[in-house]
Amino acid sequence: MPTARNRKNLNPKLDFIAVMLFSVLVLFGFLNIYSASSGTQPVFQLSMKQVYTKQLIWMAGAFLLIVLVAFSNPNFFEFTGYIFYGITVVLCLAVLFVGRKVSGAQSWFGFGGIGIQPSEFAKFGTALALAKFLGTYGVRFKGWKNIGISLAIFLIPMAIVLKQNDTGSALVFLSFFLVLYREGLPGYFLLGAVWLGILAVLTIVLLAYKLSLITWIVIPLTGIALLLLYLFRKSRFWMGIIVGFVLFSWVFTRLVSFTYKTVLYDYQRDRIEIILGLKKDDKGVGFNLIQSKIAIGAGRWTGRGFLEGTQTKMGFVPEQHTDFIFCTIGEEWGFAGVLLFLAVYLGLLFRLVMLAERQTTNFGRVLGYSVTSILFFHLCINIGMTIGLVPIIGIPLPFVSFGGSSLWAFTLLLFTFLKVDERRLSYA
Amino acid sequence: MNPLSNRRYAFFFMFAFIGVIFVVRIFSLQVLDEGNYKRAVNNALKKITIYPSRGIIYDRHGKLLVYNGPVYDLIVFPGELKGIDTGGLCTLLHMDRREFDKKLEQARIKARTQRRRDNSFNKSATFLPNLPLADYTRIQENLYRYKGFYLEQKTDRLYGNEAAAHLVGYIGEVTEKMLAQDAYYKNGDLAGITGIERGYEKYLRGKKGVRTVLQDRFYTEKGSAEGGRFDSSALAGPDIYCSIDLSLQQFGEQLLQGRIGSIVAIEPSTGEILALINKPDYRPDLLIGPNRNRHFQELITNPGKPLYNRAIRGVYPPGSTFKPVIALIARQEEVLSPATTHGCAGGYHMGSLTVGCHPHFSPTNLAQSLAISCNAYYCQVFRDIIDNPNYGNVRNGWSRLETYLRSFGLGSRLGMDIPGEVSGNIPTLSYLDKRHGNKWRSSTIISLAIGQGEILLTPLQMANVATIIANRGFYYTPHAIHGIGTQMFKPESLRTLHRTMVDTVYFESIIEGMADVMQPGGTAWASAISSIPMCGKTGTSQNPHGEDHSLFIGFAPRINPKIAIAVVVENAGYGATWAAPIATLMMEHYLKGSQAATEAPHLLKKLNVVPETHADSTQQKKP
Repeated sequence: MPTARNRKNLNPKLDFIAVMLFSVLVLFGFLNIYSASSGTQPVFQLSMKQVYTKQLIWMAGAFLLIVLVAFSNPNFFEFTGYIFYGITVVLCLAVLFVGRKVSGAQSWFGFGGIGIQPSEFAKFGTALALAKFLGTYGVRFKGWKNIGISLAIFLIPMAIVLKQNDTGSALVFLSFFLVLYREGLPGYFLLGAVWLGILAVLTIVLLAYKLSLITWIVIPLTGIALLLLYLFRKSRFWMGIIVGFVLFSWVFTRLVSFTYKTVLYDYQRDRIEIILGLKKDDKGVGFNLIQSKIAIGAGRWTGRGFLEGTQTKMGFVPEQHTDFIFCTIGEEWGFAGVLLFLAVYLGLLFRLVMLAERQTTNFGRVLGYSVTSILFFHLCINIGMTIGLVPIIGIPLPFVSFGGSSLWAFTLLLFTFLKVDERRLSYA
Repeated sequence: MNPLSNRRYAFFFMFAFIGVIFVVRIFSLQVLDEGNYKRAVNNALKKITIYPSRGIIYDRHGKLLVYNGPVYDLIVFPGELKGIDTGGLCTLLHMDRREFDKKLEQARIKARTQRRRDNSFNKSATFLPNLPLADYTRIQENLYRYKGFYLEQKTDRLYGNEAAAHLVGYIGEVTEKMLAQDAYYKNGDLAGITGIERGYEKYLRGKKGVRTVLQDRFYTEKGSAEGGRFDSSALAGPDIYCSIDLSLQQFGEQLLQGRIGSIVAIEPSTGEILALINKPDYRPDLLIGPNRNRHFQELITNPGKPLYNRAIRGVYPPGSTFKPVIALIARQEEVLSPATTHGCAGGYHMGSLTVGCHPHFSPTNLAQSLAISCNAYYCQVFRDIIDNPNYGNVRNGWSRLETYLRSFGLGSRLGMDIPGEVSGNIPTLSYLDKRHGNKWRSSTIISLAIGQGEILLTPLQMANVATIIANRGFYYTPHAIHGIGTQMFKPESLRTLHRTMVDTVYFESIIEGMADVMQPGGTAWASAISSIPMCGKTGTSQNPHGEDHSLFIGFAPRINPKIAIAVVVENAGYGATWAAPIATLMMEHYLKGSQAATEAPHLLKKLNVVPETHADSTQQKKP
């Protein structure tokens, strides 16, 4: 029964703030792609040879998608959640066999000159499926079975993408842990993750310096554990936790050491060691990072001006218009531009959390948090790598980087949620 | 409300937290660290090399040997290429499209590696190196149409004279190894490869200049970077006066023409090399210009080995020219006096062992033994040295002798200032053990007494032995320069005196014998030039590869010597036959001055050389 307060919403709209922020990001992204890809003598021409022309087409396609989503029945996404998930997972599998290799990763379908990367859409499918599962009547994020299914929903596509050798895209699936946290995953899981992160970095540092893991990890841990065991000698429960914690830490350390030594490729090890400051290599692997930092740093307070970045235009930074688009922003728009840009991006994330929280259905909320978490993860990794805070992992900056698959997939993701959000009003 | 709803604040906190970290980090990159901006500007600079003129090489009297002519590199900045008329450029450069594309791709790769090597400073690469003037004129007129291509001028060598090819050496494109070792070079640069060109490369090359041009993103030149602060002009390399006497060098090349061998002449008082001649040799002007690589291939595969600098790389048993050295050591050891006599019955006999000798009167004293080159005498002297009871056993005796020999600069490189010198061989104890087992005695190694067996010397070392005797006991490291630049600078190492272990007082008795060599009854009497008191020693070096090598060492005049010399003529028989007349003619030529006619035209005739003034020699040397 519509109340008086909601009556004016009988003709509901997509959330205005989110749409505006989205539009700003896409248009700003295009400006930077144009600058980064037009070389040193830019003449605007609508030729398919030009990267920016392709981006215009992707943008037009994205607009069509928005229109389609806007006019669709929002229930459609909830009903087809599993189906869509199934399709994207199968496509991810298929690409393993018939896909094209692009810089080492078997993650593209080629149609003529155009490539489609199903792993981008798998994020969308996974978000829908997780939302649908947790939104099913009577399902709570409790009990081994439900937790197991929730984990499986995103760990399966993650494993497949990992198999495609696309580490970056695979890691993105970890952002669903943030969603689970919101849905009730105990906080100490996240604290545990932080602990494991510290442990992993420590292990790699020790390995790189060829120091003994036993001396530097096992003995101190055991020492602390013995002290704690003495303090908690009255409580069997805590004693068990402490012993389990130490054992688990040790097993994890061994696991990291094994992965680091035998599973990772040399270039991956190099990238990690460069970020941790264990290795200095300005000419080889480190070259990209150095040039990226120079580009951003060259922007100073107000930037060198649109189309004036020499780092950007003379091709010093690799993958300039895709994964390293943030360099162009930094160089040409300066600290002022970066501040505004981050404000818009983080503003969108804040807005999405607010929208997610106002959902009346579990489906809507889980979907909202999925969108937010995925975007947040991309933002952290992508900008983090260009400024040398995280290892170089090739994932795009959503809405800003060049690329059809990523633009479409993120647009779909965002607008599906906005459409679902719009429906919320009609139910209220 | 669902209590989990409060967890949204954790998300807000994460966003803010990451936002703050990013802003702080980016603030430090963009605002606190000014270096990044400078590096970006630096990255975009274009550097154009200005090549200096290479130092010119003269002989010791200032006669021109090597000078410079311009050559040009066509260089390309691959980043600047855009929409050029490839067809037109191909026509201009006389190459087909496939070759053009291949070269361009190579240039791209080179530019990229160079860029990484310099952390993206210099972005050009050589497209076509070493173009002659004719090509330059043709290309230069049209080059303005092809953005991204430029011509850089550098210098190639031209030869004022074809003499002394091995001593002067040649230049060529820098090797990968040189590129890796010395950041001064870039691909396509010309640098010294052998001889003085190599040994004094660091002087001769001068210092490259650079013009640094600021560019905007269109690669449009925006004038000098920072008001020319990064610019530097090229600094020409200093001229080098090499130590050779051109006239003597040319005369020697004429004397050795058609034979295989070496002549090395040294000024004893300084160690400067007055002449260094190898035959066969090559015309140095083959190794310049655009055809240098093709000519080099021809020369390196030539069976006559015209590139082989045998004066410092060839090793020969010194034969009888070694006898003065043995005698000197025996005098210092006081096991020999000028009056010591030894008999010779057609050779040296000891049990079943015989070292043959030619028929001559017997017995002989020290001077006579040198004059007629008696083998038996030196076998005895050699045994007196190493079987000296003061040393207990032959091993100690040999060690003592070896130490003496090494003080004469034998068995190791003399350290000459041009590269490629070899050490020759003076056997060590362990070498002899390996060769003869542990049970060897003085009789086992008796052939060392007469400079045969395991002893090997380079012609340079032989000439240095002559120098030591001429100086009565010391030498300077033989070297190829008279002085560098207008200051006539010479490195300290070349001005350091090396003293042998034989005292000056012992030399005169040996020199007496070497003077007798040139007297009636002496082995080189036939080659003597009566107006000049010369000292010498002939040698005939047996070798397993064919006929004996003909050797001679000597110096002149006897008092205050001005020239010391060693001559090696391969497979030519007795030392007296070929090496001696070449040596005496050389010494005469040097001491009398180039214009004086020889007193001994019969020697020239014997050597089949037409007398002429050598300053304007026009003969063509064939490789």
